[in-house]
Amino acid sequence: MKLLPHWVSRPALAALVAAVAIGAVLPKVLGWSVYSQNQVTETFLFVAAALAWNWMGGYLGQVSFGHSAMFGLGGFISARLLLALHLPFWMAWIVGGLVAAGYALIWGHPTLRLRGPYFSIATIGVGEATRLVMTYWEDLTGGSSGLSLPITQGLKGQLYWWGLALMALVIAGSYALRKSTFGLGLLAIKSDVDAAADVGISPTLMQDIVLLLSGFTVGVCGAFYASFQNFIEPGDMFGFDRSISFVLMAVIGGVGTVIGPALGALVFVILRQYLIGSYPQLYLGIYGLLLIVVILFEPLGMMGLFFRLARRFGLLRPEVEAKLEAKAAVGGAAVDPGKGGAP
Amino acid sequence: VQRFTELVVAAVLLAGLYATMAYGLGLIYGVLRVVNLNHGGIIMAGAYIGWLLHHRFGIDPYLSIPAVMAVSFVLGIAIYRGLVRHLPRGPAGGVQSLLLLFGVWLVLRNAAYLLFTGNDQTIRTEYSTRSIGAFGVALSVNRVAVFGIAVLSLVALHLFLTRTFTGKAIRAVAQNADSCTLVGVDVERIYSLTFGIGTALAGLAGVLGATLFSFNPSYGSGDLLKAFVIVVLGGLGSVMGTAAAALILALVEGFAIYWLPAYLTGAVGFVILVLVLVIRPGGLFGQRVLG
Repeated sequence: MKLLPHWVSRPALAALVAAVAIGAVLPKVLGWSVYSQNQVTETFLFVAAALAWNWMGGYLGQVSFGHSAMFGLGGFISARLLLALHLPFWMAWIVGGLVAAGYALIWGHPTLRLRGPYFSIATIGVGEATRLVMTYWEDLTGGSSGLSLPITQGLKGQLYWWGLALMALVIAGSYALRKSTFGLGLLAIKSDVDAAADVGISPTLMQDIVLLLSGFTVGVCGAFYASFQNFIEPGDMFGFDRSISFVLMAVIGGVGTVIGPALGALVFVILRQYLIGSYPQLYLGIYGLLLIVVILFEPLGMMGLFFRLARRFGLLRPEVEAKLEAKAAVGGAAVDPGKGGAP
Repeated sequence: VQRFTELVVAAVLLAGLYATMAYGLGLIYGVLRVVNLNHGGIIMAGAYIGWLLHHRFGIDPYLSIPAVMAVSFVLGIAIYRGLVRHLPRGPAGGVQSLLLLFGVWLVLRNAAYLLFTGNDQTIRTEYSTRSIGAFGVALSVNRVAVFGIAVLSLVALHLFLTRTFTGKAIRAVAQNADSCTLVGVDVERIYSLTFGIGTALAGLAGVLGATLFSFNPSYGSGDLLKAFVIVVLGGLGSVMGTAAAALILALVEGFAIYWLPAYLTGAVGFVILVLVLVIRPGGLFGQRVLG
């Protein structure tokens, strides 16, 4: 009997289940303080958001600089629902995510016809326009003074396990979106939209589906963030910095890889903590330098570095290596030596 | 009618500035197939250089234009030679150059923030508030001057691209870089020259804009979107198309102020963009920028 689709690798599934199980008992075993447990919760949240961004930016090759729009919308919709209707918070998150996904579809369906760089610039516009409108839409967002959420005793501690579950789901989703037949279609679209359409893949439909999924997940992350912070304001939720942070996490970790953005999010959270503490005036420039360095020297980010090290020490079996190379070439993130540099 | 004329005239004058910033973006994309996401950063840098020259040395912003353009030209060539050149071309390089130039923009913004703080700055000259009458409406001297300089520079650029050998080489590379190599055009030199011209135009737009508006280190991000809308509307490489698209954008923005609350006017450009994409994906004048 076949329980799993053919593209699910059993070791990977076992590793995920084991990691979640370990994650679930870790705070109790190690006796983390409230502070460090919250740090880890926040990391889970950003791992989920970075992976969801990667579905667009990495799998489809449509780099979005406007994902803060969905993050913020999910946050404020769920906050309003919590305040007005006293829904259970997970229900508010899902509604927030759905609204964010709907919004993503409204702006994304027309703009996804733009390819590559043009789509990205359009998303800068989306992000900025959304931020402006939301800052002045006081009935929804409370304007620049923001919104405070009802504080439920013990919720923040509980959110650790919710965050873990969210992250696990999103990781599983990332894996499925990459390995399934659907994921192959996405790779085809990324490599050549017209050719993909010729072989019977509908780029419009598939891009819209990915957009919906990505928007929904980022919206849920925004809602989670709202519950986690107890206080949100539009400048932070919809800000350009927020959009950049998703891009950075994915780029540092490795755009288009399954697990890279998760590593990137981990590094990003630690880095941000340190930078905001030590060099508050420099962090934007340091993010910029990081982007430049990663793109110039290792376009696959930490995953690329990891593969490079593994190859150096001969840790990769030849067939794995061949597969990686093929994937990197198709994924379009690695430098093709034939086309590199000057023509 | 009076009000209507005023709006139209104001829009025409603003369109000159818009066309200047859009042409730089379109030129770089047309020739190198790279979107200069740092365009907004160069516009911001141009504004600050003009401001610095005026503030420190009392140089009139219009006289500082050659200096600003020279600096942005050199900056552009440095960015091209030091960074963009090393990326692969084609679809993979497209996303990479985008992220890379975005990184450069962040660095520039941070540098401006460190050097000049995040406060809004303006360039004020003694003729800033003066105006002249024409067509029965009062026109600010500054706006007229900005329009004149913008038109002059675009005409000069057009002549350069159509009448000189180098200009023709640039257009040839835009059409087919490989064939250019065959007939002896130094493609790499043309690339870096084009990148420099594009950023010089951005610098020009920056210093012109600085005489009209206040600016801070994030100045230029809105202009990037506007320039982009104009490129999509007007198609690539045609001065007339760019000018017409700039005029359309300026007119719609001008009239939108009447119908919409002020904070929504920032979204106008985006709405136009979406409408164009839905109704005429090939741009108004037929040159495709998609794909």
